[in-house]
Amino acid sequence: MRGESHGEITELLLAWSSGEVSALDKLIPLVYAELHRLAHRYMRDQPVTHTLQTSALINEAYLRLIDCSRVRWQDRAHFLAVAARAMRRILVDYARSRKSLRRGGDYQRISLEAVATLHQARSTNLVELDEALGTLAITFPRKAQVIELRFFGGLSVQETAAVLDVSEDTVLRDWKLARVRLYHAMKRGHEHAG
Amino acid sequence: MLDSEREQRLDAIYSAALKQDASRRPQFLEEACGDDAALRQEIESLLGDERKLGDFLEKPALQAAGFAMAGGNERWLAGQTLGPYDLLELIGAGGMGEVWLAEQKQPVHRRVALKLIKAGMDTREVVARFESERQALALMEHPNIAKVFDAGATPQGRPYFVMEYVAGIPITEYCDQHRMTLHERLELFVHVCEGVQHAHQKAVIHRDLKPSNILVSEVDGKPVPRIIDFGLAKATSQPLSAEGMFTQAGAIVGTPTYMSPEQAGSTGVDVDTRTDVYSLGVVLYELLVGVAPLDFHKLALDEMLRRLREEEAPRPSTKARALGEASGAAAENRGCSPAGLARQLRGDLDAITLKALEKERARRYATPSELVADIVRYLRNEPVLARPARASYRTRKYLRRHRIGVAVAAGLLVVLISFGAAQTLQLRRITRERDRADRIAAFMTGMFKVSDPSAARGNSITAREILDKASKEIDTALSKDPELQAQMMQAMGDVYHSLGLFSQAQSLHTRAVDIRRRVLGPQHPDTLTSMNSLGASLAGQGRYAEAEKLNRATLEMRRRVLGPEHPDTLKSMSNLAIALRGEGRFAEAEKLNRETLEIRRRVLGPEHPDTLQSMSNLAPALHQEGRYAEAEKLNRETLEIRRRVLGPDHPDTLKSMGNLAVDLYEEGRYAEAEKLDHEAVEIQRRVSGPEHPNTLSAMNNLALILYSEGRYAEAEKLDRETLDIRRRVLGPEHLETLLSKMNLALVLDKEDRHAEAEKLLRETLDIQRRVLGPDHPRTALSTYNLGVFSVHQGNRGEALSLLQDAVDHGLPPNVDLGIEKDPDLQSLHGDPRFPALVAHAKERAAAARKPK
Repeated sequence: MRGESHGEITELLLAWSSGEVSALDKLIPLVYAELHRLAHRYMRDQPVTHTLQTSALINEAYLRLIDCSRVRWQDRAHFLAVAARAMRRILVDYARSRKSLRRGGDYQRISLEAVATLHQARSTNLVELDEALGTLAITFPRKAQVIELRFFGGLSVQETAAVLDVSEDTVLRDWKLARVRLYHAMKRGHEHAG
Repeated sequence: MLDSEREQRLDAIYSAALKQDASRRPQFLEEACGDDAALRQEIESLLGDERKLGDFLEKPALQAAGFAMAGGNERWLAGQTLGPYDLLELIGAGGMGEVWLAEQKQPVHRRVALKLIKAGMDTREVVARFESERQALALMEHPNIAKVFDAGATPQGRPYFVMEYVAGIPITEYCDQHRMTLHERLELFVHVCEGVQHAHQKAVIHRDLKPSNILVSEVDGKPVPRIIDFGLAKATSQPLSAEGMFTQAGAIVGTPTYMSPEQAGSTGVDVDTRTDVYSLGVVLYELLVGVAPLDFHKLALDEMLRRLREEEAPRPSTKARALGEASGAAAENRGCSPAGLARQLRGDLDAITLKALEKERARRYATPSELVADIVRYLRNEPVLARPARASYRTRKYLRRHRIGVAVAAGLLVVLISFGAAQTLQLRRITRERDRADRIAAFMTGMFKVSDPSAARGNSITAREILDKASKEIDTALSKDPELQAQMMQAMGDVYHSLGLFSQAQSLHTRAVDIRRRVLGPQHPDTLTSMNSLGASLAGQGRYAEAEKLNRATLEMRRRVLGPEHPDTLKSMSNLAIALRGEGRFAEAEKLNRETLEIRRRVLGPEHPDTLQSMSNLAPALHQEGRYAEAEKLNRETLEIRRRVLGPDHPDTLKSMGNLAVDLYEEGRYAEAEKLDHEAVEIQRRVSGPEHPNTLSAMNNLALILYSEGRYAEAEKLDRETLDIRRRVLGPEHLETLLSKMNLALVLDKEDRHAEAEKLLRETLDIQRRVLGPDHPRTALSTYNLGVFSVHQGNRGEALSLLQDAVDHGLPPNVDLGIEKDPDLQSLHGDPRFPALVAHAKERAAAARKPK
């Protein structure tokens, strides 16, 4: 199965890079699955002493999924964008599933995305963030994408600039504005709820 | 669209405002927003939020969500399940590890604190040491003690402890926060001592009492102290030498502030109840004065330990005065003036505290309750025993109490050991006369028989002490009477065997065989009895080839000496069949079993325990051929007779229950099987002990049933438990240990932990190939399962070759026949090579069914 996807994913990535929008819809689930599997494996097997880096995860997925001989370096940027989207889905899905699990689903099974409820109470509520990000994207699609790439995809400012084909200054400005907007929107959500 | 334009505008003004100096902003906004007050308000709000952002979104989601844990090597914990525990929230972290608030779901639903010990300790040893104290811990029931429920290990191998969750704060902090007076502090402290005293009466010593282990919470508005971590220090203790105090990196893990001088000694850790009294003394000192008696700040470790051993603690009143300004705060927290504090401490409280802190144990309060008694005397204005003025009186009183204290502390253990020693002494004197020696031998045999579970119903642990002691003494104690010595060795070996401690049994049986051969001759019935027992002990350890050889020799001689239908001859036949079965030679084993059963039915009768044994031994053969219904019928019959003849708790009856459960399982009747096996495990644990091989078999089977029901977490926990004990009791390469390992791998695979599962299974297979040989059915079974893993991973080619390998190398016939129906192999059904494999397997199964 995996052998087959190798070529298929490269094909889809090339198609999307050359402007075929529908390729993205097919691409994301495949990348999602691979990232999911990789994160799962990391979590299980490696008694690593350092923190699991999103970028390392995405890099490995890239090497596994993409036939490097067939793509240009620009395509790598496109892949990172897809991967960031996939990571966002994985993490938000997980956050969502934790919510429903609390009501008594199948929690016997340890599943990957034990992406820790550890700090969830104290740190960002990913489900809310996802919604706020969706709203932000309506008015400021690029700002929303910066957040997606950096926060969910773990990309550096430089990589983000490359993916979006803008200057690093622009990325930094977008980043700053988007953060405060999202913070504002989420805070408001809480105030209403409270 | 309008909205969008407005947003863009807002954004532009906001960005520009950010660049302005804060003092210039109001004016700037006024100009930029004009009369759009709403816009201005919104931007001001954003500017306000900008200051509160902190690191919001700064860390990538994956990290922010909690992978970067303290220590870093356990990254994905929150939301995980460890056995029946759901980790909810990290509530503390320290040198020893982390503490999690967790939720237990079964058998009871409750919130617990789960203490995860930092990596780097020998997990097995930690858990084993905890297990050894589990029973004592379970006996503790006191309002001032937080119960410890459980211990285990994470999949990554870190040990953890589960205890009652106490939402409290350290006693010293609580007292200061509430500005409690000395009087109130003492009253609270009395409860702490009572808790410790209770534990001592259950023979549990805390060893690590300190304020952070004494948490105070309010119940009905009143402060209640609870002592946590009982039993943990013992389980996780390392010698508190220079090495023990440092981590590998050289960082110091703790200070010896609350440690007793004897714990700082260089010669191992020699602790008793008075060790806890010392630590209570330090806590008391801190509650009264506000600081610990000795200051170890910034000292080299050697120097710390030296001071701890040698430096006398200053009187609390002296210390309070010496504190200078700091004592002002301490006094205020105690609702008095600095001078008033020193005055209150001087005299009785000085004496009581220092007596608890004596360097020499014999001079301390012997028990926490003695400490309490003196505190209560102080609170009632009665003369306290600790005052030096009353020295001679005190010493007499103390010595009397002191003896009692030791007896209580050492508890049952001392009684048992001294009892065992007395028996040995008696033996030495008496063996001079032969007839009396016989009597003592009979007596001792009887005594040992008490620990045979079929006679004693579960005193195995205590009796074990006598047995271990006696088996060490027997060489010297009875050397002048080898015949009696051999008789004793035989008896003790039998008891070890019935406890499932086969290697100890083997050692005694070997010596019995040697002596009897020498003294009685190689064909004497007693010599043959010892040989038979030795064969059984070897088989018990999985050394089937050696057992087969010995059993054949014994059988041959017994046939000659005792006759072909003598009950002992039949025993040898039966035991030979067991060895053959162990070697995977099913057909030969079944043939011999049927023969034995037939003779036994005729000679001994249909309800004789030996006849029942043969029936029970026959059932697995039916199994191998997939004749589950027949096996079930046979086991039901055996179970019914055993219940009636031997009683419901007899080990043989329990074995029948376990076997029947396996039959039901094979027939897919999981619920019935689970119920029966559950019952069997419970009774086995009670009757035979938690580490008995029969208990372990029942546990193994129960895990298998849970696995088949898809209850993987439960199955995993039970498999791990079984594996750990088997490894320890039977050894890492025992047939059954390897089975547990394989089963664990299967569960892990179902839990999507493929890499871990595959690694474990390959490891198991390697050992099986080496120890059991490539043609052993268990080896073949592991190969088969490895093939199944390959199927899951989509490696059809490798899967088919592994399956073929398994079929060619002694896969049990029941599995051979099941290949076609195995749901795990479904995805191979379309493969052109699969039908050939199925046909081949069927041929093999048919061939295996024909006895050679």
